[in-house]
Amino acid sequence: MSEIVLDGISKTFGRTPVLERLDLAISAGEFLSLVGPSGCGKSTLLRILAGLEAQTGGHVSIRGRVVDDVRAADRDLAMVFQSYALYPHLTVAENMLTPLRLRDLSRWERLPLVGPALAGTKHRRLRAGVEEVADILKIRPLLGRKPGQLSGGQRQRAALGRAMVRKPVAFLMDEPLSNLDAALRVHMRGELRELHRRLGATFVYVTHDQAEALTMSDRMAVMMDGRILQLGRPQEVYDDPAHLKVAEFVGSPRINTLPGEVDGDGRVTRLGMPLRRRVEGAPAGPVTVALRPEHLRLASAEGEDTLTGTLAHIENLGADLWLHVAVADGAHRLIVRADHDALASVSVGDGLHVRRVKGEALVFGADGARLRFAVGTAARAVA
Amino acid sequence: MAGPLTGRYTHLWFVGPALLLMALILLLPILIAVWLSFTDYSLGGDAPAWVGIENYERIFTRSTYEKMFGATFRYVFIVVPVSVALGLGAALLIQSVARFGDLYKTIFFLPVMAALLAMAIVWEFALHPTIGIVNSTLDMGCGTVLEAWDWYAAGCARTFPLWLGDRDYAIWVVAFIGIWQGFGFNMVLYLAGLTSIPRELYHAAEMDGARSAWDRFRLVTWPMLGPTTVFVVTISCIRSFQVFDTVEAFYPQGGGPSKSAYVMMFAIYEKAIQQNLVGIGAAITVCFLGFVMMLTLAQRWLVERRVHYS
Repeated sequence: MSEIVLDGISKTFGRTPVLERLDLAISAGEFLSLVGPSGCGKSTLLRILAGLEAQTGGHVSIRGRVVDDVRAADRDLAMVFQSYALYPHLTVAENMLTPLRLRDLSRWERLPLVGPALAGTKHRRLRAGVEEVADILKIRPLLGRKPGQLSGGQRQRAALGRAMVRKPVAFLMDEPLSNLDAALRVHMRGELRELHRRLGATFVYVTHDQAEALTMSDRMAVMMDGRILQLGRPQEVYDDPAHLKVAEFVGSPRINTLPGEVDGDGRVTRLGMPLRRRVEGAPAGPVTVALRPEHLRLASAEGEDTLTGTLAHIENLGADLWLHVAVADGAHRLIVRADHDALASVSVGDGLHVRRVKGEALVFGADGARLRFAVGTAARAVA
Repeated sequence: MAGPLTGRYTHLWFVGPALLLMALILLLPILIAVWLSFTDYSLGGDAPAWVGIENYERIFTRSTYEKMFGATFRYVFIVVPVSVALGLGAALLIQSVARFGDLYKTIFFLPVMAALLAMAIVWEFALHPTIGIVNSTLDMGCGTVLEAWDWYAAGCARTFPLWLGDRDYAIWVVAFIGIWQGFGFNMVLYLAGLTSIPRELYHAAEMDGARSAWDRFRLVTWPMLGPTTVFVVTISCIRSFQVFDTVEAFYPQGGGPSKSAYVMMFAIYEKAIQQNLVGIGAAITVCFLGFVMMLTLAQRWLVERRVHYS
């Protein structure tokens, strides 16, 4: 059963629409990422789910209960903020204790001195809960420190700890890694993923970094302009994007796009070269043909299926080598993944021939929607 | 290479001007005041004679000065907490209203900008025992349920207080005007402090289960306003110790009925300027400086230890 259901959520700020009738069902124990460029409404969606902002239309339900009129404090969700939002005057232990104190203790039991005297066992139990979580996150030595004395990564853990001390329905994370340096970010990706496996809890994770979404999530929802363009497993979204914007957003380096034409029979040509497969149900007109860099190869000689261009730039990332090739007299640029052996034989300014791997091209219509190839035209032969 | 800026004493050229000015216009006068406080100097009189601690002995034994300390501390201990609390309350209220915030800000800040001497005249009229608006308003309440209150009934039966002319009320009325005049300033400082609290902290508090406004205030607002509060309290204390113009406007000759509003600044003015007893005036000044110094040190200590979190 779905743990959290967003049903037709809309949000407008003044007259500006931010979210447009958006549906999303999140299952229990799932790691779901909301990913998109800044301003696409992903943070707003998360805050509506949390109850920190009110939607203009639609319903939020948690565990089968509609919570539109339930305030954030009573939705039983935990949130990790981009800035961590730790209380600077409290130690890490006190920060982590806060959600427990506010929820599990009465007003009298929360009083200093009097409280522990009234409900000593309760206080001890909460403290034990904090220490247990601190052990999981390996921050026990930091419990006595204040947030100002911690590094970014330590603060991140303390914020996670504050969310984890309760057993909430779901953890909401609003770009929690974006304030960390690159190396730590990659490390924390793995840790968060590990934590998710260990807790078995539902995670809703907002990020603008497609790499985070690809590496961490069970499913990712790619959002653009207030809409979810595609929702699916990361590999699915990468291999089979439903929209040109999704194809361009997911994957680094960016997917190569070339202008093409489709005729009445569904035959696609790009830069004068025909594709063997035909697309279905597309009106004749201009289309975009997209190719991942790893689906392009350098060819030794010019052939009828090659494009010719000059090498404009070499991007050497150690493990990967990306060649930027200007084709069609510099009107378009293709990024080609090459073997390291190629490094010795090419240099900037050289003329190169680029060949595509058959059966990998993606075709998008003028409106950006994906045009599928007709099954059986030539696909089987190519695959 | 022996220019003025290359030698071992170059640093003196950088700090020198500021040091010199500070010594001339701050330290030197203070030292002179300290020295004068041990003499019987009077302007135009004989050469000052060294009298030792006689001036201080007088300050701490004579009943006039006991009244002076009494009036000053009464004023400070009522004006500081009330004007700080009102300033904070007004700031929180103004921040919570969606509209007219600027209007309220202006209204509450007006008394700060107005000349207190002029305002004192208005208050003098308002508090006039017979024709003042305060007592005539109170008169209208006679014969209603308000008479259930003994104080009110007594006022109706005889007459309502003389306010400024009554030694039981004088310092409290002066304190009330001090609060009226000063809390707008604290409000502005608190408003500035409030805007610097990150909104995400309130969201975190909400997620953590801080349901009531009081919980949010205790968990986020009050601790985050710590540095502002220390500053506001110190400023209010110093301003309250310095109260002078209201007392001077209401009681030009002698600090109120039975010297009940004889505050320190007024005492300094009366002794040193009006009566030309510079020695004793200087001694009161040194006491005053002592209080302000203690306050400032307390503020530094608090700021460094307690309220700055990062």
